[in-house]
Amino acid sequence: MIYDLIVIGGGPAGYLGAERAGHAGLKTLLIEERSLGGVCLNEGCIPSKTLLHSAKIYDYARFGEKYGVTAKDVVLDHRTVIARKNKVVKTLVAGIRSQLKANHVHVMEGHAYIAGRSSDGYTVRVNDDTFIGRRLLIATGSVPIIPPIPGVKEGLERGYVLTNREILDIPQVPGSLVIVGGGIIGLEMASYFNSAGSKVTIIEMLDHIGGNIDREISQILLKNYQKKGIEFKLNSKVVEICDGAVVYECDGRREAVEADKVLMSVGRKPAVQDIGLENIGVEIERGAVKTDDRGKTNVPEVYAAGDVNGRYMLAHTAYREAEVCVNNMLGKRDIVRYHAIPSVIYTNPEVASVGETEESARQKGIEFEVAKVSMRYSGRYVAENEGGDGICKVLINKKYRNVIGVHMIGNYSSEIIYGAGLMIEAEMRVKDIKELVFPHPTVSEVIRECIFQFED
Amino acid sequence: MATPVIMPRQGQTVESCIITKWHKKKGEAVKVGDLLFSYETDKAAFDEEAKVEGTLLEVFFDEGDDVPVLATVCVIGQEGEDISEFMPDGKDASTAKDVAAGGQQQSAAESGSEMEVEGGDAAQEDGRVRISPRARNLAERAGVDYREATPTGPNGRIIERDIRQLIEKGQLVTLAARDEYIGAEGMRIGGTGIGGRVTTADLDSTKRDAHYEVPQPPVQEVKAGEADYEEVKLSNIRKVIARAMHQSLANTAQLTIHTSFDATEILAFRKKVKEQGERLGLANITLNDIILYVVSRTLLNHKALNAHFLDDKMLLFNHVHLGVAVDTERGLMVPTIYNADTKSLDEISREAKELVEACRKGSINPDYLKGGTFTVTNLGSLGVEAFTPILNPPQTGILGVDTIVQRIKEVDGKLVTYPSMGLSLTFDHRAVDGAPAARFLQELKANLENFSIFLAK
Repeated sequence: MIYDLIVIGGGPAGYLGAERAGHAGLKTLLIEERSLGGVCLNEGCIPSKTLLHSAKIYDYARFGEKYGVTAKDVVLDHRTVIARKNKVVKTLVAGIRSQLKANHVHVMEGHAYIAGRSSDGYTVRVNDDTFIGRRLLIATGSVPIIPPIPGVKEGLERGYVLTNREILDIPQVPGSLVIVGGGIIGLEMASYFNSAGSKVTIIEMLDHIGGNIDREISQILLKNYQKKGIEFKLNSKVVEICDGAVVYECDGRREAVEADKVLMSVGRKPAVQDIGLENIGVEIERGAVKTDDRGKTNVPEVYAAGDVNGRYMLAHTAYREAEVCVNNMLGKRDIVRYHAIPSVIYTNPEVASVGETEESARQKGIEFEVAKVSMRYSGRYVAENEGGDGICKVLINKKYRNVIGVHMIGNYSSEIIYGAGLMIEAEMRVKDIKELVFPHPTVSEVIRECIFQFED
Repeated sequence: MATPVIMPRQGQTVESCIITKWHKKKGEAVKVGDLLFSYETDKAAFDEEAKVEGTLLEVFFDEGDDVPVLATVCVIGQEGEDISEFMPDGKDASTAKDVAAGGQQQSAAESGSEMEVEGGDAAQEDGRVRISPRARNLAERAGVDYREATPTGPNGRIIERDIRQLIEKGQLVTLAARDEYIGAEGMRIGGTGIGGRVTTADLDSTKRDAHYEVPQPPVQEVKAGEADYEEVKLSNIRKVIARAMHQSLANTAQLTIHTSFDATEILAFRKKVKEQGERLGLANITLNDIILYVVSRTLLNHKALNAHFLDDKMLLFNHVHLGVAVDTERGLMVPTIYNADTKSLDEISREAKELVEACRKGSINPDYLKGGTFTVTNLGSLGVEAFTPILNPPQTGILGVDTIVQRIKEVDGKLVTYPSMGLSLTFDHRAVDGAPAARFLQELKANLENFSIFLAK
């Protein structure tokens, strides 16, 4: 059977690319090995959000006194939380399935393997069937990095060490949880399990948490977490995982922290193995499929989108990359711009950012100005966040006076940040944004307050 | 009572004049004899003086406006006087300007006053981009470069729908990138921003590319604050000359042939006139006058060169209306000596001098600047030995007069030197073939070399 397009991988890049291609009239086959929706939907973004929402409700109930609300005998039933998570995932996966169907995409379950190239196109084997695709979209995503630390492999095998996949399904809240890696996944899981009652310790190699987020915001987040009782071991390197404890090195000293469970969240790597990329000569660079800004690989009509290209590893980046790939397949020139991709950590408080940080701007040699205001400039924030210490920080290009970065910590940031992304994409200047009306009272007004710190 | 000032009619064929300068402003007091405004026709410039005293109550046209002759240009009177009766077409002052010819008409689809924007679109003849205010506002709001628009308005003006078209076509620019993008004259920058907009990053990378791609040779630097050129706006006359010259070369089949003649006799004659002319009451007859005289007679035997070539027909003139090229401060002017073939050498000489004087003063009646059937131009006085004059269509010939050089010829087995004067005849091969043109030159040469006998004829 010959398809116009074979999509390998049914995550955000794969299913959206297939939908768009099918909608445009390309005869499209989507092959997914595990479950439609990929990591994002099944073991990432969406399930973690359902857990975090339960934790938030629980926290509101427990700590409502300062708002004049007291509740007794508040219980977080982890089993119910997980059951609800599964229901949410099921609903959304079904939604994707029907969307694909509506766009006439054929969906196959199984492991796709690119066998080679013929005059008709690329041969892809799934289970015992063979299909030919005139074009390929590689959207195989990423897998967790499992560092070669003694005890990790064994720990994974007996269920003591978990990845993002397993931890979302553990039946009980562990008494103590050690999280290796203070990035987005680690921080979100720390937030839930801390609320759910675990004693959580985060071990991070760097001197700060949250990866590339603004350092000041990283500090504020750290303090908020510490206040909740989460422990941090920064500048610390895990050297061994024993039975019941994680051993790490800090300042040359070996220390150990007890753990009922260990979450391994040191990062993810593109899934480029065992799919036959080598059979058609797709170039791999630093473990990722190398693509240009149109999503093209070095092989004609072979595109790649999402985590597999090793660029940003965010579901919304994958969406856009897949759309760009399909547009280029259809002859519409389109490119992915990476400078205004928002990123959010759904902790409590939420962290959201888009564009350059002070650190990255300095590194790139961009001349910029920065302004910062407290979230307490927003009436709604004050009303809803007793003792909140959030901030909003805006960076502008000194020469053109347009916004190049916005960083926020405080709830609702996640829903506000897209507006900031729009400002960056549209290269709006300070004086342009000053003309915009923000709804009052909302937290989004802090952006306006921040903008008015700048001269035109 | 208020008095209207009308645009004078300068010659029967002039239909409009361009106001080049206003010397008084609306509301200023004027006395009789005060300069009101300067204006020019295709070829000459004039000043208009106030003929009554009072206040300049209203001005209907601006500098650069092409005003129909006899139209009311301004009104002088006492303050507070009603001037409505002088409003062109009974309209108000701002719309009165719309009656000015050329590029000034208001389109029915558009309202508001006319505006012209300095710009760099070479597509416009005079280097300006004409755009309606509505279109310009829209372009600015949308962040598009209006110079890219294809004008479909009257007289090549960009109107709103052109900008809409441009937005559809899409060279959009982000807000931050706009100023620099518009400043980047002639640079074509690809957009990588949202919807293909040109972003600041595109500007920066284009600059970088330009820097890397073109190796910069060491340039002798212009001193800071010192422009390396002076921008001079073309005068109306310069524009007319430019257009005429280019059209001549573009639309005819002109070529130039050269000859020379022994100027001994005309030099002797000139010497005689110089010595005794005053006593005889003769004008100061120059060598050029002598050539004009001989040409005016010789041409009658070569009517194809005393003619207008009009594509499907030729007008062969029975009299010679001789154009004389004159160098003036404003540029080249060519007044005509009408019926030169009927005028004596002395008359030709006197008339030529008067016309030259009037041209140089700018007071020439424009009717003298047309109607020529053949032209004589002289660069000989500037030492030029040969050149290729440009035809003045529909004329079919123009004679260039060159300088005198000493040459050698054999006389009775001996080499003698003689003063040799060059003649360069440009003719339109569509009208005249090479041999007849050469025959005209041959006869001209013979007549000039035997000038004393020619005078006797």
